[in-house]
Amino acid sequence: MYIPGKCTGKVDEKPPTLMADCLVIKQFLHRTSIVHPKVRFHFGGEVNGILFKETFGVEKEPVVKLLNGIGLLTSQHHYMRPGFLGAQQVCSRIHPVLGHPVLLSIPDEEANMGLLGQLTLTPAAALCPCHKLHPDQTSRISAAFVFLYGPSGLPLIFPNQEHPLTVFKDNSYLFDWKKYHLRAAPNSNISLEDDLVLPDVSYWIESHERSWPQDSDQQILLLFLMVDFQGGFPAQLTEAWGLQSLLLTHLNSILLENQSLVQGAVQTAVDQALEQHHRRVKAQQKLQASIPVAVSSILSVVAGSTRSSFRALCLQTLQAVDTQEFRRRLHEAFQMTLHQRSMCDPKKQQLPEPSSSAEEREEGDESLDEALAGSCCPGEAPRPKRSCQGEGVGRKAQAASWLPLLSLGEAPQRSIGTGPTCSQARGWGGPETRGEDTLWLQEVSNLSEWLRAGPGSRPVP
Amino acid sequence: MAFALMGPEASFFRVLDQHRVSLIQSLKEGPGEAPRKEASSSEVLVSIENIIQDIVTSLARNEAPFLTLDNRSNWENIKFEDSVGLQMIPHCSTKKIKSDSAQSAQRFALILKILSMIYKLVQSNTYATKRDIYYTDIQLFGNQSVVDNIINDISCMLKVPRRYLHILSTSKGLIAGNLSYIEEDGTKVNCTCSTAVAVPSNIQGIRNLATDAKFLLIVEKDATFQRLLDDNFCNKLSPCIIITAMSFEAHNLTVPTIRWLGLLPSDIERLNIPKDTLIPLTKRDQMKLDSILKRPYVTCQPFWKKEMEIMAELKMKAEIQALTFISSDYLSRVYLPNKLQFGGWI
Repeated sequence: MYIPGKCTGKVDEKPPTLMADCLVIKQFLHRTSIVHPKVRFHFGGEVNGILFKETFGVEKEPVVKLLNGIGLLTSQHHYMRPGFLGAQQVCSRIHPVLGHPVLLSIPDEEANMGLLGQLTLTPAAALCPCHKLHPDQTSRISAAFVFLYGPSGLPLIFPNQEHPLTVFKDNSYLFDWKKYHLRAAPNSNISLEDDLVLPDVSYWIESHERSWPQDSDQQILLLFLMVDFQGGFPAQLTEAWGLQSLLLTHLNSILLENQSLVQGAVQTAVDQALEQHHRRVKAQQKLQASIPVAVSSILSVVAGSTRSSFRALCLQTLQAVDTQEFRRRLHEAFQMTLHQRSMCDPKKQQLPEPSSSAEEREEGDESLDEALAGSCCPGEAPRPKRSCQGEGVGRKAQAASWLPLLSLGEAPQRSIGTGPTCSQARGWGGPETRGEDTLWLQEVSNLSEWLRAGPGSRPVP
Repeated sequence: MAFALMGPEASFFRVLDQHRVSLIQSLKEGPGEAPRKEASSSEVLVSIENIIQDIVTSLARNEAPFLTLDNRSNWENIKFEDSVGLQMIPHCSTKKIKSDSAQSAQRFALILKILSMIYKLVQSNTYATKRDIYYTDIQLFGNQSVVDNIINDISCMLKVPRRYLHILSTSKGLIAGNLSYIEEDGTKVNCTCSTAVAVPSNIQGIRNLATDAKFLLIVEKDATFQRLLDDNFCNKLSPCIIITAMSFEAHNLTVPTIRWLGLLPSDIERLNIPKDTLIPLTKRDQMKLDSILKRPYVTCQPFWKKEMEIMAELKMKAEIQALTFISSDYLSRVYLPNKLQFGGWI
């Protein structure tokens, strides 16, 4: 279904402020687009005569249906850069596990403030990247990202905004990390990124059991919390944002009141999402535990043998000068064989299609269906389609021309539009917009390129 | 050596003697399979060293080592020989125990662990029981059956009986009857006493084994064994030996084969065993029965098949104690003598 919509406005801000505001809007649109896969957002503007445009929402992206018409884009590139943190030939999708919705009780104080109705919270959890192609590869969870969505699937918190949800400062509010021998610390070092969705809450995660091998892959636990509110009366679109704000104002108290319920629901979803990770960890532990036993047994026979030819041959085979070195080389050799197995060609792995409690649906993409059949998401999902043609040299050239303008301190004139909330873009493909399309196509530097010059990178543990 | 002149007339054992002759004949005319070679200690040590060497060579090539074991759990690999009993077929299917698979890495390591322990035992000419092996590291092994299975796998892998691995059974078996021998330490043992003798753990050291026994009766339950002792069975049916099942191991037998005397399913109806003494087959029993009936070697044993089919139809089983409901000494006075005299075995 195609519903056009458009918001326009003019702003008058200093370039750094404009830059920051654009990043915020981009994030908001990106965050919204990942749960509204049928909606495409075009965000563009003109700054001092230079046009920029970016589109969120791509055709033929894999989607998981969550609830009430809300879906979730599952291409990994929304949440993590490909090749990030040592991931090799990983599955290109996340596989969210949908938890059960819980009905939250609304304290009287909040009810008196106008929050009358039914409030539910539904969690969904996933690990990114998915390691099902490499079940023997060691991995550890290095971070947890929490994304909060309100009714209608809009981000509950405006990106980079100070929010009253102090409950999340308590590391253990959402989840009992100790159950998985992990500990969490809040991570406030989050910067606006260009093409990754920004979480509302972020934690550093580390294991307090053992140190992980150097070549362990790192994974991020993604947690989506969908808050829905039914007031009993049909809400107008204009009221939706008001409700969102009201909810945000009182949500902290409500979450505090319902901690055990929330934690229970989140725990169940996360338990399922981590189940395979946990099994993989256990499998790795079994493999690692077997090595010292095998090594000492072999050494016992070699060192205890009265046949000098046998002893000499064994030492010579591993190029060891004495039994101490022989022990070390045995250990290294066993580790090497395990490492090689975990790096083997994923095509040789016969893994069933990963199951998810959420219904999987792809947006009419036959080609993607074929690619996914019989294996765990081989290959990369389509990259987000850049709206502007003229990528590459032309765009970079414009970026170069853009920056000097900023450095000269020119202040583009812009006023913020006060029109209705627009979550839908006008039809860019229609005949009446072709003239504008041409205009967009003239731009040579999209906002991402320009903004990349700014600060910020994904938190690196 | 003199034994007390007891027991039935010579004609009582006519059927048994004929059976013995036919068994010996079948041994001579057998498929010609070479008897299992008696392995020396040094051969066992070299076999273990060869396994270790192969593993080290694999590691040097950056290949994950593995062990190859005969697949003892596949009944297609088992045949029944009259002269021997159940044994693995030549060129049976095998299974790989890989060192780089989470499912088998632990087993791979445990096999090597027990191999290294066997190596030390054989080298030092000392012995240990299966229980001793388990108790060296109960946390590592987990439970006794893991150790027992691995020892059996190693016995198959090295193609030697367990006694050559210097690992003894921990069973507390009893033996009585027409038998005498001298133990390793020089102790003379005569099993004709009225009380049973404990079977020595280390039979390797036994010498001067002497017997005139017409048959060896293996008794499943200690209680039944005791009952036979109390009824003076060994003297009544002399010359014979009775032994408990705990001391009995197929691959250590020195008699060619076993025959099942009873209680057979066909006995239940024939002897009119009281119905209230019968036990219904459990689901596990049923599954076991179905599984045994499907084993390849059973198809060549029509009598066994017939008995199992009777059991399946009856859906009941009977303990040997059920005979005490006829009379307390029915087993030793009537049942066993009739079975032995008239060849009521399968």
